[in-house]
Amino acid sequence: MQDFVLRRLLALVPTLLFVSIIVFCSIRLIPGDVVDLMLSQNDISTGQDRAQVEAALGLDKPLLIQYFHWLGDACRGDLGRSLWRNTKVTEQLAARLPVTFELGFLALVVALTVAIPIGIYSAIRQDTLGDYAARSFSLVMLAIPGFWLGTLVMVFPAVWWRWAPAIEYTPFFEMPVQNLKHMLVPAILLGLSLSATTMRMTRTMMLDVMRQDYIRTARAKGAGEIRVVIHHALRNGLIPIVTLVGLQAPMLIGGAVIMEQIFVIPGIGLMLLEGVFQRDYPVVSGVFLVVGIGVLVINLIVDLSYGWLDPKVRHT
Amino acid sequence: MSTTASEHIARTFSSRGPLVDLIVRVFREKPLGAAGGTICVAFLFCGIFANLLAPHGANDTNVLNRLAPPSVEYPMGTDHVGRDVLSRILFGAQLSMVVGFAAAALATLVSVVLGVLSGYLKGWPDMIIQRIVDAWMTFPGLVLLIVVISIVGPGLPQIIIILGLQYGIAGSRIVRGAVISVREHMYIHAAQSIGAGTRHILIRHVLPNIMPVVIVLFTTRVGAVILAEAGLSFLGLGVPPPQPTWGGMLAGSGRDYMYVGPWLALAPGLCLAVVVFAVNIFGDALRDLLDPRMRGLR
Amino acid sequence: MKTALATTLAMAALYAFFLLVSFAGRPGGLGGADLGILTIPVYSESSPEEPQYSGTLNVGHVAISIPALSWDPADWNWKQNMDTGMYIEQLFAADLDKSIKKGGPYPYTMQAYLPRDAVRGEIVESYEWEDPLTVVMQLRKGIMFPDKPGIMKRRELTAQDVVFSYQRQADSPKLIPTYFDHISSVTARDDHAVVFNFNEFNAEWDYRFGYGYYSGILPRELEHVDVKDWRNAVGSGPLQLVDFVEGTSQTYEKSPEYWDRETLNGVRYEIPFIDTLIIRTIKDKATWLTALRTAQLDILEAIDWISAIHLRETTPELKWSRWLGTNARFIAMRCDQAPFDDVRVRRALNLAVNQREIVDVYYSGHAELFGFPHKPSFVGYYTPLEEMPDTVQELFSYNPEKAKQLLAEAGYPDGFSFVTQVNAVDPLNMDLIPLLVDYLSKIGVTMEVQPMEYASYLSAMTTQTHGPGYFATTGHVNPTTTLRKNFMTGQTWNIFAFSDPDTDARILDILRTRDEQSRQQKIKALSAELLDQAAGIWLPVEHVFSAWWPWVKNYNGELRAGAQRPGPIYARIWIDREMKREMGFE
Repeated sequence: MQDFVLRRLLALVPTLLFVSIIVFCSIRLIPGDVVDLMLSQNDISTGQDRAQVEAALGLDKPLLIQYFHWLGDACRGDLGRSLWRNTKVTEQLAARLPVTFELGFLALVVALTVAIPIGIYSAIRQDTLGDYAARSFSLVMLAIPGFWLGTLVMVFPAVWWRWAPAIEYTPFFEMPVQNLKHMLVPAILLGLSLSATTMRMTRTMMLDVMRQDYIRTARAKGAGEIRVVIHHALRNGLIPIVTLVGLQAPMLIGGAVIMEQIFVIPGIGLMLLEGVFQRDYPVVSGVFLVVGIGVLVINLIVDLSYGWLDPKVRHT
Repeated sequence: MSTTASEHIARTFSSRGPLVDLIVRVFREKPLGAAGGTICVAFLFCGIFANLLAPHGANDTNVLNRLAPPSVEYPMGTDHVGRDVLSRILFGAQLSMVVGFAAAALATLVSVVLGVLSGYLKGWPDMIIQRIVDAWMTFPGLVLLIVVISIVGPGLPQIIIILGLQYGIAGSRIVRGAVISVREHMYIHAAQSIGAGTRHILIRHVLPNIMPVVIVLFTTRVGAVILAEAGLSFLGLGVPPPQPTWGGMLAGSGRDYMYVGPWLALAPGLCLAVVVFAVNIFGDALRDLLDPRMRGLR
Repeated sequence: MKTALATTLAMAALYAFFLLVSFAGRPGGLGGADLGILTIPVYSESSPEEPQYSGTLNVGHVAISIPALSWDPADWNWKQNMDTGMYIEQLFAADLDKSIKKGGPYPYTMQAYLPRDAVRGEIVESYEWEDPLTVVMQLRKGIMFPDKPGIMKRRELTAQDVVFSYQRQADSPKLIPTYFDHISSVTARDDHAVVFNFNEFNAEWDYRFGYGYYSGILPRELEHVDVKDWRNAVGSGPLQLVDFVEGTSQTYEKSPEYWDRETLNGVRYEIPFIDTLIIRTIKDKATWLTALRTAQLDILEAIDWISAIHLRETTPELKWSRWLGTNARFIAMRCDQAPFDDVRVRRALNLAVNQREIVDVYYSGHAELFGFPHKPSFVGYYTPLEEMPDTVQELFSYNPEKAKQLLAEAGYPDGFSFVTQVNAVDPLNMDLIPLLVDYLSKIGVTMEVQPMEYASYLSAMTTQTHGPGYFATTGHVNPTTTLRKNFMTGQTWNIFAFSDPDTDARILDILRTRDEQSRQQKIKALSAELLDQAAGIWLPVEHVFSAWWPWVKNYNGELRAGAQRPGPIYARIWIDREMKREMGFE
């Protein structure tokens, strides 16, 4: 086990490096240079001196040098400054990460709370009306686009009842009630669409697992139904669910851009999108790096939990 | 004693062709799944023959008649520049289905290949593939898409390929998880101890047993891809207008004018929901039928 | 069989549901072509009540989806004044006492132009031309910079601050070349007198460093401070920046003291009346409309006409104003490439498009047929279409036969096809595209559309790799700039790639003309000729609406008191908190 963990941690480093190079270079491949964008913002312009602007932004050095500067700084915890607003990228990240994380966390809680009980119930009472109802509900949630629901919630209650979710963000630890007034609705919507996939996976895996030999053995031994379910079936059925959580990690850390846009949530997703649209290279590179680290860590945890959940895997 | 899954499947489909048999079984045993399948076929049909079925062109503007509610001439109303919504839905079916099935197929293929290789072979191949998957998946899908589309320009093939790759690589972990579970089962060990080759084991033992997962994966991917394209259109990066896609219609005039003309948002929204729903039910039915373990076999 | 039947029945039920909601969900009175003309009452009497102090004003300004791009005037960014104009003051600003609500003639909705008699000294009390190339400005006394811990102590604004600010702008690496070329020096004669020495007269002198985009006056203490950091923001204005949540909101609070007063009903009041101003950034249209409906926004400055009509019905308490969009729209045709190097081809395309129909039917009348290069509000510079030469008027008529004739003459009897780049994120342009494609196809011209993401789309223009067609929206700015930026050789915004040495010379001459009357004549003449050249397919300019809740007082939809500068307007607004409470929103 120690070996396994160590190997995975070491493997993290080259992956990250690889990721950072791709990110750094790819965004600069996009047509529509940041200098062009800045120049075109001006009212009248006569072929402004590009060299001047480029030098001011530090963009005149060769790509390789820029990359190494950035990497070196990043290792020291300095992710550079936004090209437009000159604010430190680390500061922006520190401000926006908790917001995104809160949204993702709330959404995940909603998803799991809804999905797992229903998924298990659905598996145990397979092919009953309850099962069909649950499956239909999850399919409906899968089919409706999240941004659509979000827009509906934004538009129609306001028209009919003059009610809308709050559009101002207040940090949770300052004013929890205000914070929830703002975050709860998007979290629920996000969670509901997540729950659909989770529910189906839970049901499928529960069904498979429930027919394993050792379940029959446990039943034969006279263990109660609930004990059997929880202790054996759930433990093994949890593997794909944990996988699923791992899969959602980029969204949870990277932000659900669309929800952030509709509900005015100052999170990482929007920060990234704006960075791309404005060609704010340090912002994009910085966000990618942090998201990358976060996702890789979560995946590591997912892999490690495979070992814990399924004893057979541990010994391979 | 215990028969292998493939033998079971072979026995079931002995006389008639396997496909026909399967379809008959679906209709006989799984009515909900059959309904789903019927709907899918109907929409495919509409999509393929959209040119013949559509009463008007997809881009015939008639501003005098903008935002008209459903009528005999315009069964689903008109949009804000007077285009017939029904016609746009039909042409949109074409595009949405192409994007949906093509990208989902590509995604499933990628997932299976990566998942099986990674999950079954263990050791170094697993390590390397997982590193690649990790690296790929650190990119939030949406942003990767934006970057790629910004480089190569918006367009249908680009969207299919990138969505396919995105969901494929992400889904490989699910397949890998299933393969890992299967790998440890008795009959694999049994087959290995008899001296059966890797390829034989993969094709006759592993693949059939992960089929349920793969089928469910494919069906959720179709829906997910169509919805992903809708999301891209929301941000202005989907298949570019004036080409109608359901996602584009929902995110464009549907969103802007939904309170003035609810049909603008309802039509594409309902179609999306119905098709994704149908695909998923049908997939579920197939999975239930093909899953050997439902017969209590191991 | 049964399944098929059941499925068909289910689909039929679904369609019935669809019909039900479609009809039931519609608000009354909206169908077909008649979207109704929105009549806008004019508020010409100021409110007779006594203004109240305190309260928070939530504003969704004209660029609601764009956050602050820069806090530093030396960044030479167009959006500067929208974000800093509350705390950074300038030499000149609009004379808000001449606004319509006070009985004056000006709505103050222009983007960056103030007619001569609408200009009032902001920190400048008076000025005098000592000789044709020297102007001495007397600054007001008693304008104070507040305490800013770590940066400065409270003190009076002096001429040295003006000199410092000017120099800072001029030394910036992002300076627009030739912008300040007309200025030879700016010096402080004493604490309250600033002397501007010019090399030559420039008609835009009070705009370029005065009420324009790049004219903010900062305290000298900021010389070694990072001005880009919003936390270092300080100025002599009425509302100081206190918070900036990237991408969602900017909060300003009442300055401890402020020199200016607002006169209401003959009484001079201290301003600002409000305690807090919050500028909100919202990316999604549905969200900002909802925010207005639920009073999370007190003012929403830019609403399209269809949404406006609907809002009118669902939220009848709102007050309204209408203004002409500050961006002209046209499909620029590259005059340096075939087939558009032939003026006949360009005129033909204009004749093929039925601009009047677009106004009447697409915009339901809420658009101005003719609004480029000058807007009707450029009084003295604008010539109405009816007074233009026949050749110009012809371009706005609909004559596909003549268009085909011209094409044949120019050597394209069977038409041709060309590519047009469009900003995919501009919904109005994307909507107009199918209409235009349709019109042009009727004369045998096929327009292929290339939607592009905003940055790439802009980049194509700045690198001059665009065309042959390019669907542009470009701001009018002011009567002289609009000619120069659009038609002078080599300008970034000269999307037409139009180049004529005679035009260039005339534009430079116009800038040097001191006498306003004479300048106006020259501009009118040149404009008519440029229109005739039909360098673009001229399209109508849409009307835009502003809406606000009735508890927002001393406000009539004014938008700018300088170049994109709404600060002074917000500082004069007061909120009737009683009324707000009665309406259930406090």
